[in-house]
Amino acid sequence: MTGRLTFFFSMRWWVAVAWIEDLIREGQKSVDEIEVFYVEGTSVSADLKQKKVNLATTSRDCGLGIRIIHKGRIGSSSTNDPDKWRDCLKAAIASGKLATPQTWNGLPEPVSILSSSLSFDPALECDPDIARDLLRQMLEGASEHPADITAGSASLSVSSVTLANSYGIRYEDHHTGVSLSLEAIERQSTGSEFDYKSYIGDVNPRHVGQQAAFFASKSTDGKEIPTGDYPVVLSPLAYAELLGNVFIPALNGRSVHSGRSRLAQSLGQTIADPRIQMYDDPLLPRASGSTGWDAEGTPARRIDFIWDGVLQTFAYDLKTAYRYDKKTTGSAVRGGFGGLPAIGHHNFIVDGKRDNILDERVLYVHNVVGAHTANPMSGDYSVEISNAFWMEDGGFEEPVRSAMMSGNVFDLHKDIAGLSKETRAIGSLILPSIKINKQRIIGK
Amino acid sequence: MSGVNYYDLRHVTGQVTHIDIDNGVVESAGTSFFNKAVLRVLDRTGWGVIQIDNYTPCTGRKFENLIGAAQKLAGITEEIVELGDVPHGILPIPPMKEDPRSISIEEKSSLLAGIEEAARHPLVTNRRANYIERIEQVRFEDSSANVYSYEMCRSGFNVLAVASRNGNVQMGYEREHTIHGFDLRHRQESGKKAAEIAVALLDAGAVKGGKMHAVLDPELAGVFAHEAVGHASEGDLIQEGSSVLKGKTGEKIGNEILTIVDNPALCEFGFDPVDAEGTAVLRTEIINRGVVNAFLHNRESLAAVGNGIAGHARAMPGEPPLVRMSNTFIENGDATEAEIFAECRNGIFLKGSRGGQVDPGRGIFQFNAEYGYLVENGECTKMIRDVSLSGDILSALHNITLCGNDRKMSPGYCGKGGQSVPVSDGAPHVLLLNAVVGGSGLD
Repeated sequence: MTGRLTFFFSMRWWVAVAWIEDLIREGQKSVDEIEVFYVEGTSVSADLKQKKVNLATTSRDCGLGIRIIHKGRIGSSSTNDPDKWRDCLKAAIASGKLATPQTWNGLPEPVSILSSSLSFDPALECDPDIARDLLRQMLEGASEHPADITAGSASLSVSSVTLANSYGIRYEDHHTGVSLSLEAIERQSTGSEFDYKSYIGDVNPRHVGQQAAFFASKSTDGKEIPTGDYPVVLSPLAYAELLGNVFIPALNGRSVHSGRSRLAQSLGQTIADPRIQMYDDPLLPRASGSTGWDAEGTPARRIDFIWDGVLQTFAYDLKTAYRYDKKTTGSAVRGGFGGLPAIGHHNFIVDGKRDNILDERVLYVHNVVGAHTANPMSGDYSVEISNAFWMEDGGFEEPVRSAMMSGNVFDLHKDIAGLSKETRAIGSLILPSIKINKQRIIGK
Repeated sequence: MSGVNYYDLRHVTGQVTHIDIDNGVVESAGTSFFNKAVLRVLDRTGWGVIQIDNYTPCTGRKFENLIGAAQKLAGITEEIVELGDVPHGILPIPPMKEDPRSISIEEKSSLLAGIEEAARHPLVTNRRANYIERIEQVRFEDSSANVYSYEMCRSGFNVLAVASRNGNVQMGYEREHTIHGFDLRHRQESGKKAAEIAVALLDAGAVKGGKMHAVLDPELAGVFAHEAVGHASEGDLIQEGSSVLKGKTGEKIGNEILTIVDNPALCEFGFDPVDAEGTAVLRTEIINRGVVNAFLHNRESLAAVGNGIAGHARAMPGEPPLVRMSNTFIENGDATEAEIFAECRNGIFLKGSRGGQVDPGRGIFQFNAEYGYLVENGECTKMIRDVSLSGDILSALHNITLCGNDRKMSPGYCGKGGQSVPVSDGAPHVLLLNAVVGGSGLD
């Protein structure tokens, strides 16, 4: 079955090239510049209800995004019906007429980009039997700890991305992904774990199962904690929630220049503990966000946002760079309205000197609930902690039943007192655990 | 259809029109299109599901081939899925006062610019307004010859104002979304309010965390109902064993003044004329006078769990349906606002919400307020910044001791299993005793 899918996939690809050329030729008759972004993919997944496979899914996705630029006006439209590209082109041109014109110095021209397909595993097959086998391995791992499985999922995906523009760019890249998750419960204590990798050999389904069941069983009979300030270690997962919802958006050049970032005035200033480096590395082999070129064809390169705690730069795409007289950092990703590129990141990494941060008694917070409600402007957050433990010498000692944790995400970065030796990828974020010496915890 | 016990197909086509105005600049405006379908087949065991982008309706051999592919996929499933018997039928779509399609995008853009402009203030560093209009044509059919088709239009706007002074950055955010037609006219007040809140928050204090009495406004109390009760009553979670409400039917878990309802038939933002499995939608009293009364179900969870009402299956275009809330609310009580504040006496009054999150298996939920005021001797005094609260599902409902009689619904979106669907939440003003507030202030 999988072989047939792959064959079908490549057939569709060659058909696609022909109409993209037609589209660009047609568009050039009425606008200065045109860009086409086309994604096609297939995926398969199997879902558990408790310990049994309840549902199996395949999907075939396609998406076409068209951007036009005419006399500084940017228009766009998208559709997932590529046969209707003429309607989509018309809508993109009409959309450009409404936009406020801005300084625009052109879409990129083609360059030879060597590093393509950094996140493509030729061995990955979208085969439902493989998905089912991954679930079985997770269940085997989970059986090592006393907890019931409530739900789980394993999925495999292959996709191809094409970027073409009226200056001759014809880039193509391929991505693969394998995604695992498992949820467990022991009485009124829950645990969950997930993993996402580009290469099938990089996931560890047994470990995902073990961790989900471990956190569910180990968190039972938690004790209360009195309100106070405590030394806290945030796991990469808990840290990712706060970083991704508040801190990273504040590095977005568009937010900075339009007055929506608390970091707008902080360039060249120390905004984090001096041990902290933060950078985007789009060229990291096997990482899920890796790519040789950004979503508008700028060659992707490493961007050092924070070096030794000092803020060095913000992230830009072409539109924002042209408007504010900056240079693009190759940070365009697809995800805006109507298939427009927007500023984002590829593989966002927090690094620095690593220590043993579990050498003294700390409150270890594995996950948080409600980080999306943190204030993205001020950085204030108050979240519920989950799977929290008193930890001594790296061992999980006493679980904490329930408490809130509050503070400010920007201020927290100045108080980072250590980075763990271990690193974990949470989606496109690659993070250590971080230690905070004084973190406000609100007990119940 | 040899061997296939059941199939259904949900095909959604449509278009999304958006306008994004940022500090007076029309950043982008235009229309995009989509066409997505999902085919589900039940064979001997569980579901085989095919998600199809760019679907062309087909019959005969082509359709049989799709069914065959889904059937083959279902071959890897192990659980035997049964579907409950449900009433079928579709409600009429409420008429729109003014169809957004009859208005040019230029006029929409100019009205939105008026709302954005109204947020102008010397301390406001950023004003941003978005308009979104989504029109969906839905067609559902199943193997029992149930066929439904309808068209829905949801539209509305958000306006954000960011105020900044000496490194202190605060925001005000207002939104209006509706199924009742075009709603951008005479809405400048929303822009003005966003700016006023952002500016006022520059001088607001941080609340000290801990337990205190809280008066919740209708929007926030609606989010409380959604997080504290709504998710935990979803039949699929009960079926999996990941809700603390499992096995609690008939048990009293809250104050007897408290009745909590989910009603997809209500003509609010979460309205569904028919659910995503072709089931007729019905008002469902989740909590009746403090007692666990009925779970929200799809056909599968109804058969597996019982003790509830189906018609709560919802899906994003092209996605398999899940059990979801629609319009969730706390019923009116008989207290006046004055009585609620008098009873609170000393505590906090919290307004608005950026949402919340719940771990229904653990029974712990978190929900966020956009801003509030200290309540001292029954009067609102100093303004306080945004803060979140947390609660325990099995005890929090006992702590709602007064419900007002001024229920109001607020539109929003709810995420679950990677899918986001339109919902509304609402309540009257309520008094929540001993709320756990996550403030970081010192005193």
